Amino acid sequence: MSYQHAQDNWFAAIVIGFIALAVLVNIIRARMGAQLYIRRIPGLDAIDEAIGRSTELGRPVTMIPGMTAFGVVAVQALTIFKYITKQIARFATPMRLLSGDPTVFAVAQEAIYDAYNEAGRPDLYDADNIRFLSDRQFAFASGVAGLIQRERVAASFMFGEFFAESLIFAETGNMVGAIQIAGTVSFTQVPFFVAACDYTIIGEEFYATSAYLSREPVLLGSLVGQDIAKLLFALTTLGGVVAATIAGTDAPIIKLLGQPGGWDAFWSSVLKGGGQ
Amino acid sequence: MHMLTNLMAQQTIWQLPEGSRVLLATLIVLGAFVLILGLVPVLQTLPPRGRRAIIVTVTFLAGLFFAAEFFLPVDWTAIFPKDDPKRNFLTPAIQPAQNVLQIIGALALGLGTFGLVRLHMRNVVQKRTQWGYSVVLLVAFVTMATFSILNTLAEKQLATKTPLLERGFSILFDYTLVQLDAAMFSLIAFYIFSAAYRAFRIRSVEASILMFTAMVVMIGVVPLGAYISYTILGLPQGSAPENADLWTRFLHSAGLPSISHWILTALNAPAQRAIEFGVGIGGLAMAIRLWLSLERGVT
Repeated sequence: MSYQHAQDNWFAAIVIGFIALAVLVNIIRARMGAQLYIRRIPGLDAIDEAIGRSTELGRPVTMIPGMTAFGVVAVQALTIFKYITKQIARFATPMRLLSGDPTVFAVAQEAIYDAYNEAGRPDLYDADNIRFLSDRQFAFASGVAGLIQRERVAASFMFGEFFAESLIFAETGNMVGAIQIAGTVSFTQVPFFVAACDYTIIGEEFYATSAYLSREPVLLGSLVGQDIAKLLFALTTLGGVVAATIAGTDAPIIKLLGQPGGWDAFWSSVLKGGGQ
Repeated sequence: MHMLTNLMAQQTIWQLPEGSRVLLATLIVLGAFVLILGLVPVLQTLPPRGRRAIIVTVTFLAGLFFAAEFFLPVDWTAIFPKDDPKRNFLTPAIQPAQNVLQIIGALALGLGTFGLVRLHMRNVVQKRTQWGYSVVLLVAFVTMATFSILNTLAEKQLATKTPLLERGFSILFDYTLVQLDAAMFSLIAFYIFSAAYRAFRIRSVEASILMFTAMVVMIGVVPLGAYISYTILGLPQGSAPENADLWTRFLHSAGLPSISHWILTALNAPAQRAIEFGVGIGGLAMAIRLWLSLERGVT
C-alpha cells in the first residue's frame, strides 16, 4: 500500500507547516494575554435556551455524535457535549447520548462522567444514559428516531460527522417539536440540517465551538491561527487564478502550487543549475 | 529460537507452519493480556498528574511517528540504490499501527454491545416503561448473533451448513435486516419532501432566492428542463460555434440544463470548496492541539 508523503507535493507540506506555525504562535500570544476577538455564533448562544426549554418541560435532551469514528471530529463533538452536560447538570435535566461508534461511546461515557463531576453533581450520572445503539447506519438511525419519538425529547443536539441518516434525526426531532441545533463537517448534510433544524453550525464553525463556549486562551489563539491560514488560502487561490490567467495552467509556478510531481522539474532544474 | 528465526525470515506469523503459528499467536495474545492487566492497575495507582504525563508522552510520540513518516523524504535511492522509492524507514510500521487502532475498535465494540444488552436486560427485569421493546431487542440480538456466528463458522468449514441454518440466516439477513435498512433509507425521500417544503416557503428574500435557484436546478437536471428549453422554446443545444456572435453564444447557454450546470459548478462547487478548506484547517488545528495535549475538552 502506498501512502501520501510531503515529497509528493512540497507546497502542500509547506502550507501545513505554515498553518501549524500560525496556530502555535497565536496560542502563545493568547497565553501571554493578547485580547482576541471572536464573532457571535447564534447557534451556540441558543444552546442554553434549548436546555432551559427541556428543563421547563421535564423532557430529555439528546446528544448525537452520529456515526462519527473516533478522531478529531469526535473529540470536538464530545467537548461540546461535555459543555452541554455541565449546563444540564445544574438543572438535573435528563439526557441521552446516542452513539453509532463503539470507541466514541466508550470515550463519551468517561467524558460525561467527568462533566457531571466537574459540575459537582456526580450523583446524576447514569451510565445507561450514554448508549451505543448500532454501528449499522440505518439500524442506528431507527434506534435514534424511535427514542426521540418515544421520549418526546425537548432539545436535540447533533454534532459530528453525519451521512444519509442526518435527515431522519432532524425530521423526527422536528415532528416532536424539539429545539434542534446541529453542527457538522459533512458539507453534503448541511442543506438537510439547514432545512430541518433551528440552528446549524457550518464547516469550520464546528471547530470554533469549543473556543466560543469556553473562551480558553489556547482555543481562542488557535482560532485566530486558523483565520490567518484561511487568509493564506484565499491569497493563494487568488494568486493562482491570476498566475494561471496570465501564464497559463502549464506554467511552472502553477505546477509548483498544486500538481503532484510538480516539484520534480523544479528540483532537476536546481540540480542542473539552469532553467528547464 | 528456531521459530523466531523462521518468523524473521518469513515476515508474518501466518506464513509459519500451523503448530508454530498457533503457539506463537497464543503467546502474543497472552503476552498482550498480561501487559494490559499489569498496566491498568499501575495506571490506576498513579496520581492524576503522573497519569496525565504518561498520556501526554504517548500521545506526543504517536503523533510524532505519523508526522515524521509524512515529512521524511521517501526517495533514498541516491544513497541506497536498492531501496523502495515510495517509502521511508517508518512507512512499513504504518499498517501495524492501523491494525492496533482496529483492535482497540473491536474491543470497544464488545464494550458497546455489553452496555446495550445490560441496559435492556435491566429494562426487562425491572419492568420499566415500554420494556416490551427491550424483549424484542434481546430476542433479535440472540437470534441474529446465533445464526451469524454459525453461518460464519460454516463458511470457514468449521461447522455443518444445514438447510435450517442456510434458510434461517437468509430470512434474518437478506429478507429482514437488508429490507429494514432499505425501508429506513426510503423514509428519507419523504423527509426530504417535508423539509424542503418548510425551507422553500417564501418568507424572506433569501428564501425566495433559494426557492428560485432550487427550482431551476431541479428542472434543469431532469429531462423536463431539456424539453422546455430545446423543444418548447427552441433554444440551440450544445456549444456555440467558435466564430459565433455574442447573441448566439447567449442562446446556446440559456437553456435550463446549461444554467443548472453553471449554478452547480460555478456557484455551488466554490462555496463547498470554501467550506472544505475551513473544515480542513479547523481539523488540522484541532489535531495539533490534541498532539501537543493543549486540548482540555475530553482529554
